[in-house]
Parts: sequence; structure tokens; C-alpha cells
Amino acid sequence: MKMELVWIIIGMALATGIPRFLPVAVLSRFEFPEVVKEWLSYVPPAVLAALVAVSILAPQGIVEITLANRYIWVFIPTLAVAVYTKSPFYTLVAGIALMALLNNLFV
Amino acid sequence: MPLYPGEKCIPGKLLPLKVINHKNDCSLNDFRLYKAYKGVLGMNVKIEAWTGIKAAVPVILAYMPLGLAFGVLANEVGLTVSEATLMSALVFTGAGQYIAIGLLAAGGSAFTIIMANFLVNIRYLLFSASLVPHLKKIPTGLASVLMLGLTDETYAVAAVHLRENEATVPYLAGLNLSSYLSWVASTCLGAGIGHMIANTDQLGLNFALPAMYTILLILVISSRKHLAVAIIAVVLCLLIAFLFPSTLGNLSNIIAATLVAATAGVMIKR
Repeated sequence: MKMELVWIIIGMALATGIPRFLPVAVLSRFEFPEVVKEWLSYVPPAVLAALVAVSILAPQGIVEITLANRYIWVFIPTLAVAVYTKSPFYTLVAGIALMALLNNLFV
Repeated sequence: MPLYPGEKCIPGKLLPLKVINHKNDCSLNDFRLYKAYKGVLGMNVKIEAWTGIKAAVPVILAYMPLGLAFGVLANEVGLTVSEATLMSALVFTGAGQYIAIGLLAAGGSAFTIIMANFLVNIRYLLFSASLVPHLKKIPTGLASVLMLGLTDETYAVAAVHLRENEATVPYLAGLNLSSYLSWVASTCLGAGIGHMIANTDQLGLNFALPAMYTILLILVISSRKHLAVAIIAVVLCLLIAFLFPSTLGNLSNIIAATLVAATAGVMIKR
């Protein structure tokens, strides 16, 4: 194994580990004020909404709001399944099956 | 840590079982203590761990093709099977690893690769901090170590789960570890025999992540205010991505949009 690569990997492990580890390690001893707790409770919906938007509307790393973007076409029925069933399983099956269909119909 | 009569009981503080059973020591908080104790280590371990592993199934489905693809790419760039697997085992960050092999191929320096990884991972400061209020009953050292398993996907699953359930070590370990193992195993497989595996897009697996984000978003929206926060976040993150396309490289548009949208959520009148 190349030594330089091992050092790069260790550096990457620190660069990715510290931002995950530190907040809980440092902040757990404090009781947050109510307003901070409320603020933090809005983080998951905001992050998830942003992740949905990016993964559907910029699937290749650039914003692509066009009719040719098949992620948008699969998203619409998948969203309907999610809203009606509230089931991760059915939503995942519907989304994957529809995307497989489109990917095989229009290569 | 023996509890003497009159000592203040802190719910969630880990105590030896015999202390909890001594009614006189701590009668008022006995039940809460017992619950907290059970929540950390008790008999629900199996159920909780299974709940975590089952919740990880969509994550695993999504990681398999991504890990395979990473293994194949790492192999093409000149990493051996053990080097690629070591990277996935120690680093566990999809985007950062893709960037790293891209930079390695282009002859980037170690410093550039590590800095790029740090930038891509800054958002986890926010994710990890937002879980702090839920993790109070878990010993801090253990909770911090569990956070090493955070990814966009495991964070999303955990955040939705913790809205209505107490955080437990077996749940978080089940969720994070099974996702982690699928990432490491699929990297190893991809680097080893990846060139023999057909294009997974034909199986529609490229929509596994978007579908999972979608259902988690639906599950996490429980009020009009949440909906408003979500809409603000979508508009902002697209606007930022449109004006500054480079922000999509490290998803800093998501952090910026989240900071503003959560602040707006606090300020909107109830």
C-alpha cells in the first residue's frame, strides 16, 4: 500500500470525522434555550426539502429544470405515492420501478 | 457511582441496576430513571437494533450501487482493492471520496484532497448539532462516536425517527452500522469485480436516494410551519445553486438555505 495514500486517507478520515463528532461531544453538556431547540427542530425539514430539490432538479450537479430531466417525471408520481401511503417501502418501490421503466424505454 | 440518600437524581444518568431497585434511594425519579436506564442498555436492545436495521434498508439499497461505482472508479484511478476498501472503511463519505479519487487522478496534492473533504463535510456540524437535544440520555462519549456514522441519508432517517421516538444506542448503531457496512462491502465488491456488473441505472437504483428523501420529507412535515420552512429551503437552495453553481459541489447551498429557512421558521408567527 502506498504510504502517501494512507496519509491522505487518514487526513480525510479526520476531515470527515471531526465535523460529525465534535458538536455532540462539545454541546451535549449544555441545555439549549427553547428558541434554539425550536430552531434546531426546523433543520430536518429544511435539509430534507433542499435534498429533494437538489436530487430531483440538479441530478448531475447542475440545475436542470427541463422536460428532458426524467427525475422530474418520476418524482411527480413518487410524491403522490409518498403522500397517500406515507410508506417508505411503497414510495421506494414506486420510484425505483418507474425510473427503471424510463431508463429502459429511453436509453 | 453510588447514590446516597438525598442526592439529586438526574433522569438519564446511567446508574447501576441495584441503585435503581433501591426504592428509598431515589423514590421520586425511580420510574424515570428505570426508563432512562432501559433506554440506554436494557431489554429492548434487540427490538431497537432491528428497528434501526430495518430503517436502514432503503439506505443500503441506495448505497450498494454508489459503493460499487466508487469501487470501480477507484480501481480505474489506480487504487488497489484494499486501498479502496480502506478509504471507505475509514472515511465513509460518498461525495468526499468521489472528489478524492478525481483529485488523485488529476495529481492533486494531499492538502487539496483533505481540504476539499473538510469543505464537503462542514454541513455535518449542523446535522450533528441538531441531534444534540435528542441524545441527552446517551453517554456523551458513546453518542459522539455514533455520530461518526452520520451521512445525509442516516441523518434524515434518524431525524424523522427521533421526532416521535427516544434515541437509543442500539437503534442508532443498527441504522448507522448496517449502512456503513453496506458502503464498505459494496466498495470492496466494486473494486474487485465491479467491471463485471451491469449498469445499475437499468434497475432504476439511481432513483433510490431521491425517493427516500421524498418520503422522509413527507414524514417530517407535521404542520403548516414545517411546510413553510420546507418551501423556503427549496426556493433558496435552488436560487443559490442557480446563481453560484459551484455551491452544488459541496452542497453549501443546502447549508445556507437551511440556516435561513430555520431562522424564518422561528420568526414566523405561530
